[in-house]
Amino acid sequence: MSSWMKMLKDLTVRPKGERRIRKSPSFSFDEDMNKPISGQTVKEILSKSSDIVFREFNFPGKSRIPCMLVVVDGLVDKNILDQFVLKPLMVDLNHHPDLERVTLANVIDITIQSFLPGIEIKKIVKMEEAVSTILSGDAVIFFGESSEAISIGARGWANRGVNEPIAESIVKGPHEGFTETLRINTSLLRRKIKHPSLRIISLKLGDISNTELVVVYIEKIANKDIVSEVLLRLSKIKMDSVIDVGYIEEMIEDFPYSPFPQIAYTERPDVLAGKLLEGKVGIILDGTPIVLVVPAILMEFLNVNEDYYQRAMTAILSRFVRYVGSFVAVVAPSTYIAVTTFHQEIIPTDLLMSISAGRQGVPFPALLEALTMTIVLEILQEAGLRLPKPIGQTIGIVGALIIGDAAVNAGLVSPLMVIIIGLTAVASYAIPYYDLSLAVRLLRFPLMILAGILGFFGVAVGLYAILIHLLGLRSFGVPYTSPIAPLRVRALLQDTFVRAPWWALKRRPQLIDVQEPRSKGKG
Amino acid sequence: MERISAHQFTTLGAGVLLGTTFLPVASIVALVGGRDGWMSVLPGFALGIPYSLMILSLMKYYPRRNLLQISEEAFGRWIGKLIGIIYLLCAIYLGGLLLGQVGDIYQTSIMPLTPLWIFFLGGIILVLYLTRSGIEVFARFSEITFPLIVVAILLNVGLSIPRIEQGELLPILGEGLIPIFKGSLKVIPFVMTYMLFLAGVIAYLPTDKKAIGQLKTGAWKIVFWAGILDTLIALIQMLVFGPTETIRLVYGLLALGKMVEVSRTVSGVESLFLGVWFAAAVIKIGSLFFVAIWGLESVFGIKGVKWRHVIAIIFLGIAFKNVRAPSLINEIGLVGEYIIMPFVSLWIPVLWGVMRWKRGAGY
Repeated sequence: MSSWMKMLKDLTVRPKGERRIRKSPSFSFDEDMNKPISGQTVKEILSKSSDIVFREFNFPGKSRIPCMLVVVDGLVDKNILDQFVLKPLMVDLNHHPDLERVTLANVIDITIQSFLPGIEIKKIVKMEEAVSTILSGDAVIFFGESSEAISIGARGWANRGVNEPIAESIVKGPHEGFTETLRINTSLLRRKIKHPSLRIISLKLGDISNTELVVVYIEKIANKDIVSEVLLRLSKIKMDSVIDVGYIEEMIEDFPYSPFPQIAYTERPDVLAGKLLEGKVGIILDGTPIVLVVPAILMEFLNVNEDYYQRAMTAILSRFVRYVGSFVAVVAPSTYIAVTTFHQEIIPTDLLMSISAGRQGVPFPALLEALTMTIVLEILQEAGLRLPKPIGQTIGIVGALIIGDAAVNAGLVSPLMVIIIGLTAVASYAIPYYDLSLAVRLLRFPLMILAGILGFFGVAVGLYAILIHLLGLRSFGVPYTSPIAPLRVRALLQDTFVRAPWWALKRRPQLIDVQEPRSKGKG
Repeated sequence: MERISAHQFTTLGAGVLLGTTFLPVASIVALVGGRDGWMSVLPGFALGIPYSLMILSLMKYYPRRNLLQISEEAFGRWIGKLIGIIYLLCAIYLGGLLLGQVGDIYQTSIMPLTPLWIFFLGGIILVLYLTRSGIEVFARFSEITFPLIVVAILLNVGLSIPRIEQGELLPILGEGLIPIFKGSLKVIPFVMTYMLFLAGVIAYLPTDKKAIGQLKTGAWKIVFWAGILDTLIALIQMLVFGPTETIRLVYGLLALGKMVEVSRTVSGVESLFLGVWFAAAVIKIGSLFFVAIWGLESVFGIKGVKWRHVIAIIFLGIAFKNVRAPSLINEIGLVGEYIIMPFVSLWIPVLWGVMRWKRGAGY
């Protein structure tokens, strides 16, 4: 096999049963990590960074054991360290009755039991753990030549408050959102589900970034096979760093080359709590407010949590509007192209005359006209997305109004085409999940080209190909198109196209084989 | 191994049975049954019930095996292989002809300037994609598209009601029951083609007692859904066009679609209707493609992507060989009436009888 073929295969074929592995570079201190714990070695490893603080002092009393507190400046709460670590050890300890018993052999046990008042205090025995604890924002005290150390939970860094997520704002319902701090996020979840069955399993990902991650689920409800599969897939990830959940998403999803999202995400604690109560599993990563939820099905990407806070009838109307919007976003331009190019017979004469009058003088075929307009729209969207808000609005006005109007006046595009493309853009905003909306935007192009070349036959081929693709997708073993195909009547009638009133939602959706299918409450 | 549920079996079976039949059915039954031809559809389809029940009863004793494998056990290896070869040839030839029909229908009705190979290619690509995705995805595909096909047919029928001409059906049974009997014989090949698929798909069906009960109910439903829809189609064409015109219009339902107009907003919906019909064609051709795959596997022990591509190329070759409506429809009729119908109508009862006798005799 030629080298370029090999390279192509490496890029496209993922080894069965394992995620693609990127080898971590080796560092000079890798060997030091396996040495026994000692303050000196830690100093050698970390002293080249200016934000690491080494506070050395002697243990009071006769022993005079040399101690060293190591922290990262900016990641720890200095007040906690001053009040509850340094003051007790350096000042208050002088009068403590146990002080005389202290030797190098027992200093750590006595300090944990009698001298330090905090909650998150534990003994550590591995060098790697000591370094990782320090870099995660906790404090570690080393005692002379002792091969053990004490870690003290003293994290306290500047963080964003609990605000409403911009991408998931709702009218009715809670307005709090996750932040970039893992523990704040787990606490927000705990406030929603105060049950001992809520499990929070900690993992670390990234050989260099050492990013903390938790897998959350409700043990009483979640399917054990799915939980195990999530943990297995996560444990197989080998990367240098995991900065955002996007890294994980591509590593653990079933079909990485599909344009459709197969893992749901949310920034809202209430949404996560709701999904966990349906038997799903959440993945919370430190450093990002986005939480992944698996397994996910297509219909989930068209429903929003607000549906459950509104009255059932209003929720049904909202869902209907969203479904219609999504359908229009996919097929409107291609249908228009097919009708005007190939199938004028389905348009009644009066309407056909009006369309023809609008297109008179337009020098391009409908396909080219639509493609150009859509590409311009994509450029405008992309340009407006990352600009500061006021400039972004200006781009929208200049692009949509001025350029659009000028193009129509110049006879380059027909007014109806502007309406169709505008309608498509608006309809695609009705899709609540950004990832799904991106997939729709992507699929519009091949559909338009098929419509321009083959009319409705092309559209039908394109739509059926998309349908077959969707029908073959699975998210952690759950068919993506469930509950429509395979049909789950109860789930379909309860909470898919319609949202049944709360008193009728007695059973959990049948999408996953949950352990407790019936929810509590008389209804 | 892949599995499909009882509900999926029902929609898939109905999709396969209805498949490409609803366009030519009215013309076929009117040709031999005259103005009473529409009444012959349901009795003809009803023959599918005992055949389905015979196949399902065999499945109970030979779970996870298709009828070709059971035949080898019943008749011995060589006769079993011979049956497999006929089974395979029927599927490949009819599948190719139906692919040809896709091109013919699209080109003659809405896109006369588009080359035929485009339609063949579009159809075979979808069928290949479906078969590559497996029987579960195929079942899900029919689960979604079958209701759409039903709605499209009902809309087409419903919107044609204003064009009904009084007296087209009269006199009812003017020539007795013989035309109905003759008409029924003409639709039996449709049922027997469906049996080819059922003979293979049983290996993927659940075999617990409750599921077998549901499958038997499903077998009844399949026949009635498809039978009633085809009857409705034949009836409305007879009512709108009368017997002579119904015989002449091979794809009469499309002609009805052309005449539809809704509130001066939408008219001539046959191009939209063809989009839905295309799904039915994909189900039917896909089912025959699956039959060919099972046949190849059972007879020659070969399977894999390479062989699927070979089948696709043969389908395309047959489609290119038979491209135009009168000869194409005749060819489909001939294959159905003179090859598939005698073969299946003999094979299944004999196999069922032999296996029953063997079980009774304690073999």
